[in-house]
Amino acid sequence: MPNPTRKKLALITTIWGWRSHANHMGERFLNGYPLNGKWHRPQIEVVSAYVDQRSEGDLSRQRAQKHGFQIYPTIAETLRLGSDRMGVDAVLLIAEHGDYPTNQKGQKLYPRYEFFQQIVDVFRQDGTAVPVFNDKHLSYSFEKAQRMVLASKELQFPFLAGSSLPVTFRLPPLELPINCVLEDALMIGIGGSDAMDYHALEAMQCMVERRRGGETGVRAVQLIEGDEVWRAGRDGRWSRRLLEGALARSDSRSGIGLSDGRPQDLAHSGELEQLVENPSAYFIEYNDGWQATLLMLNGAVQDYTFAAKVQGLPEVQSTQFLLPPTPNVTYSACLMGKVEEMIVSGRAPYPVERTLLVSGVLERCLQSRLSGHRRLETPELNVCYQAPEASHFCGAPE
Amino acid sequence: MTDPAESLSPTSPSLPVKRPQIAALVTEYRQYSHGQNIVDRFLEGYGWESRWHRPKMDVVSLYVDQFPESDLSRERVARHPGLKLYPTIAEALTRGGSRLAVDGVLLIAEHGQYPKNEKGQTLWPRYEFFRETVDVFRASGRSVPVFCDKHLSWEWDRALEMVETSRKLGFPMLAGSSLPVCRRIPSIDMPWGAEIEEIVSVGVGGVDGYDIHSLEAMQCLVERRRGGEAGVVSIQALRGDSVWQALSSGSWESGGCDPTLFEACLCRSQSLTPVDKSNRHTYPQPEDLPQLVSSPPVAYRFEYADGLRATMLLMEGLVHDITIAARLENQRDPLSLLFYLGSGHAMQPNFFNPLCHHIEHMIATDQQPYPLERTLLTTGLTLAGIESLWLEQKPLDTPHLAIEYQVGRESTFVRT
Repeated sequence: MPNPTRKKLALITTIWGWRSHANHMGERFLNGYPLNGKWHRPQIEVVSAYVDQRSEGDLSRQRAQKHGFQIYPTIAETLRLGSDRMGVDAVLLIAEHGDYPTNQKGQKLYPRYEFFQQIVDVFRQDGTAVPVFNDKHLSYSFEKAQRMVLASKELQFPFLAGSSLPVTFRLPPLELPINCVLEDALMIGIGGSDAMDYHALEAMQCMVERRRGGETGVRAVQLIEGDEVWRAGRDGRWSRRLLEGALARSDSRSGIGLSDGRPQDLAHSGELEQLVENPSAYFIEYNDGWQATLLMLNGAVQDYTFAAKVQGLPEVQSTQFLLPPTPNVTYSACLMGKVEEMIVSGRAPYPVERTLLVSGVLERCLQSRLSGHRRLETPELNVCYQAPEASHFCGAPE
Repeated sequence: MTDPAESLSPTSPSLPVKRPQIAALVTEYRQYSHGQNIVDRFLEGYGWESRWHRPKMDVVSLYVDQFPESDLSRERVARHPGLKLYPTIAEALTRGGSRLAVDGVLLIAEHGQYPKNEKGQTLWPRYEFFRETVDVFRASGRSVPVFCDKHLSWEWDRALEMVETSRKLGFPMLAGSSLPVCRRIPSIDMPWGAEIEEIVSVGVGGVDGYDIHSLEAMQCLVERRRGGEAGVVSIQALRGDSVWQALSSGSWESGGCDPTLFEACLCRSQSLTPVDKSNRHTYPQPEDLPQLVSSPPVAYRFEYADGLRATMLLMEGLVHDITIAARLENQRDPLSLLFYLGSGHAMQPNFFNPLCHHIEHMIATDQQPYPLERTLLTTGLTLAGIESLWLEQKPLDTPHLAIEYQVGRESTFVRT
């Protein structure tokens, strides 16, 4: 029987297997998680779940049995706990991993929008809406993502979304000053497109959104690949100095460093160009007139780093977004801590517009790649918002 | 942090700057050895703040005691024309001449094939390397800064002699682990002047190798307490079931440690092994602990002269990192943190970077950043812990560890 003093949470997920996001994000609400040197047990109870695909290695039934929640065949029933009225206080929507088709742009068509629609249908029918967290980007389609955000405004429920990178530990714990004048920013990421570039883009966005005037939206994007990336660097389209700054925060080892351990000055030694398998650069031109760059450098690094030039600060500002190791992957505890904050306070700790904008930036960048790596004007990405002044990452100075 | 070697910059651009020249004495130079990790950072540079930092000093001579098949020293010598390999320590220090010809010495005697004694201690030749070094200092009538990696020696009298010799000859000496200066999560220090009641560490590795790292991590925090370092009066080491019994006792007074400090350590760990392998991250119950460690656990329980109580736990397998927690007077929650040594993938051990930065600073300025007494004390604690285990977990008084010293208010770990 659910404990009446605890908030009731419904978990809607594509799959629930080992290493799935339901496993390391959702299960924080079953097992608790470390928070500021204590094992924190949220006053939140998973009472129901919907699992879209039960592949081999499914853990959902075992978890339901152990933790005493019910798995329902539809999203509506999951939210209504089998009755005819909304029965939960919050919804965790995790549609990452699972067997779904891929479109021409290389995007995996995870049914986030579709799940979300079913959730808000219940909200509408039952005349009540509760906080929702959407894992990662909102949708593969910016238009669908926009509709999701609009629905949350219309029905006035707290809506949080996105990646764990903005809230994970930073080495060092760098936060750019709020309302700073940003001159340039560069992010380095790794991993496959549509999954990991999203994380890198959102990590960069959580830094640059703190610039003076707030976020003004993106007017154009371009994604280039291969040797064009190095040429663009030589042409000054992205900054070598910021590359050095970001790489100085990397703890990776690659190439000769793997066989003889030596520290490597990848930014200047010429090794970088040899090591990266297929570099790509994502150029993001903002409406307030400046540009930020994401470099995906698979083969050279194994971590996510960032560097920026801030007017008035003498040195380049840089940090690493730490992804702590498996199996604990404590970055997911950082993110679920923010979800808990929303469920308890009824307020999203940072604007969902961040995730909306980055969802659109990623989709349009992938469109650029498909369109011969052309620069694309993006008047539709005029997403404006103000970043919160407070830091929301784990280990931020108090 | 400003670049320490900047102070060597010429006042006039026309004046050539003499870059300090360094001798490195290492037991072996192969991938991942401390010799490789530290000396390479002087040769190749390393990431520091937002730059690739190249130390403003040159390693010019190298003595290598053992050459396994995987030796890299010859490759480094071939690639760095300014670096020369010498067959003896004296020749490395005099660079083949008759007098000391370097401005600093790196003494890195960790890794390599050396015998063990009956207590299980590896007889690293740190003292021997040091003796040969100071023989050259004495013969040359001049001394230069020395860095000695990890604890000073496997024997107390030798460690003490090393410290006294550095005093007598008046050269700056830095020693110990990289942990006191590496990154911390969260990035905090013990408040200077804090009143600390009890401290616990939970770490990895075994005795005579990793105990020193955990002890140095604890010591760099507790030495900041009110009144400064007062020394240690007694120690008892436990192994295996005695550790579980101690932990279940529920308090220092009943033979264990404060359970909230143990919990705080596990909750700062980023590598806490879950009981059920299908879980990512769960908090273990006391009865789960024995099945989670991969070797018998070890505890060093020691008491300081001013009443501070400390428990160092080695629990390889339960965790793969080093965390500490301390109970402060009039503070509700313990102070707890992780000493960040990396996140597990094929990574550079960049926790050596801040240590190298401090070594550079010492060589450039003739000032050591923190007292050598810290490492003398942690060396003594390591040896006393091993002794207690050797004597079947016998409690030992440690009058020789009445080591008092003071550190400054400013933190020395890497924060930027």
